[in-house]
Amino acid sequence: MPLPQGPQSIHYRLQQWLVNWLPALPMLMLAYGLLVAPVLALLVQSLQGQEGDFTLANWLGVLTSRSDRRAIVTSLMLGAVSATTALGVGSPIAWWVSRLMPAPRSIWLSMLNTASNFSGIGLAFGFVAILGNYGMITLAFRDLGLPFAPPAPNTFWGLVLAYNYTNIPLFILLTIPGMAMLRQDWWEAAQTCGATQIRFWRAIGGPILAPFLGAGWLLVFTWSMGLYGIPFALAGNGATRKVSLITLEIGDSLQASLSGQGEAAVLAVVLLMIAVISLLTYRWMLGRAAQWF
Amino acid sequence: MVLDRRRLPSLGRGLLLAGLVIYLLLPIAAVLLYAFSTRWTSHLLPDGYTASHWLQALADPRLVAVMLRTLGLALLVTLLDILLIVPAIYWQWIYNPRIRPHLELTAAIPFVLPYVVIAFGILSLSGQFLPAVQGTVGLLALSHGVVAFPFFYWAVDNAMAAADVALLNEVAKTCGASPWRSLVQVILPNISVGIATGSMLVFAVSFNEFALVQILVGARYETVSLYSLDLLTGTNADFNKLAVITMFTFVVVFTLSALSVYLNRGQGQTRRLMIGSRSKA
Repeated sequence: MPLPQGPQSIHYRLQQWLVNWLPALPMLMLAYGLLVAPVLALLVQSLQGQEGDFTLANWLGVLTSRSDRRAIVTSLMLGAVSATTALGVGSPIAWWVSRLMPAPRSIWLSMLNTASNFSGIGLAFGFVAILGNYGMITLAFRDLGLPFAPPAPNTFWGLVLAYNYTNIPLFILLTIPGMAMLRQDWWEAAQTCGATQIRFWRAIGGPILAPFLGAGWLLVFTWSMGLYGIPFALAGNGATRKVSLITLEIGDSLQASLSGQGEAAVLAVVLLMIAVISLLTYRWMLGRAAQWF
Repeated sequence: MVLDRRRLPSLGRGLLLAGLVIYLLLPIAAVLLYAFSTRWTSHLLPDGYTASHWLQALADPRLVAVMLRTLGLALLVTLLDILLIVPAIYWQWIYNPRIRPHLELTAAIPFVLPYVVIAFGILSLSGQFLPAVQGTVGLLALSHGVVAFPFFYWAVDNAMAAADVALLNEVAKTCGASPWRSLVQVILPNISVGIATGSMLVFAVSFNEFALVQILVGARYETVSLYSLDLLTGTNADFNKLAVITMFTFVVVFTLSALSVYLNRGQGQTRRLMIGSRSKA
């Protein structure tokens, strides 16, 4: 007896479903299996005790631990300081690059692109090579007999300098499209209405660019908080470590042992929550930015 | 007065730009000097110069193996992403738009979530359900594939939007081409710049990546990142050898970056306002 071939048969519906999804299926399975499921696993783990029971002990443990609290505050500060300096230095340069002719702009874009991709341990070494004990700048300061030293790579400000090597170029590359969309006609129209330059920037240019700059700040803030390789290479281990960060605490507990990973999971979920809030705010800001174009 | 010129006072602008260039060049310059210096402990510049570190590095079997492992992994990850992601995006554009929200959701995760958190999650999940895959290079390659996925996705998705693949596909179909033939002969040639750009980003992510390598496999598969860390902070640190490796990494990154800027030249009208935003298509 032949199988029923009507549109209601299981066979037909399965076939339809496969036609709809098959080419995307391997990627979606991988993405859900290696991105979504692990995140859910960490959420569960942060609420689980040693025997798999539900508990808030991990959360209480993190929130009452001085070292964890310090790591969270330092990470937030490091992200905020990095993002703010990237904003301050990056916005005028992004504006300038967005107004360049194509040929010089390509050169700048290549340089910024390279710097924004040069990250990780190699970059950390670059900063040891200039700011470390025998670093180029350190030696130069010593040679000249200057009474002060540059920030060492294992300090808060040393990390800010190393982070911003990629952050400033990233910020510039992120905000150039927004800057490029601020049109010449608008300035001319404002001028026709008798606006001064300051007034133009306060009433038109500023409000239009603000969501772009805000979104760039937010991404740099979020990415800086999540960096692991650079601080791992620069901040030192154990007792020699001067700066404690969320990502380093997580790494430490993964290296140490399997027990006590509940608290590391809590720290991971803290980073997750920050990432989710950032992403939602980022989308909202870009929604505001898009209304002008 | 036009918007194009003289927005910043020129002295301030000159100082700012010069400062940025120096800031971006100094670490590279110092690394380059380390790669050619004999002894460098007292003055601004090294005491003497030599090419011996380069010769030693090339003759060091551990270093050569590390390089080959890293390049091999990065190539594998790039190939994996091309084979997995292009069909998914293509199908979303020509047949099933309901794929898009899934791609957008999963692409947002590695975009904002730190790799160390993703690595921790994968480690803990695989420990619970598939202990056999823990510590394997295969798991590392797949993990690199998914964390690099957003960059590839956005590059190719933009290219498909710009090339209007739905229309192209319609035309190919009218001429009697199957979806596969239309993908290979019509769509791919039109989105090659997007694929090339995305591939280079994926390659660079995998080549430089540290958190996933360290947490998922560690010393079992020593890559450039792990070896570099050992040369920087290990018991027998060797800055000169590290400088040679770092220069090599830098040249790889520089080539990829310059190439991707060159390929995408003249694309003034970006379809997306910023990466990660919903496309304006």
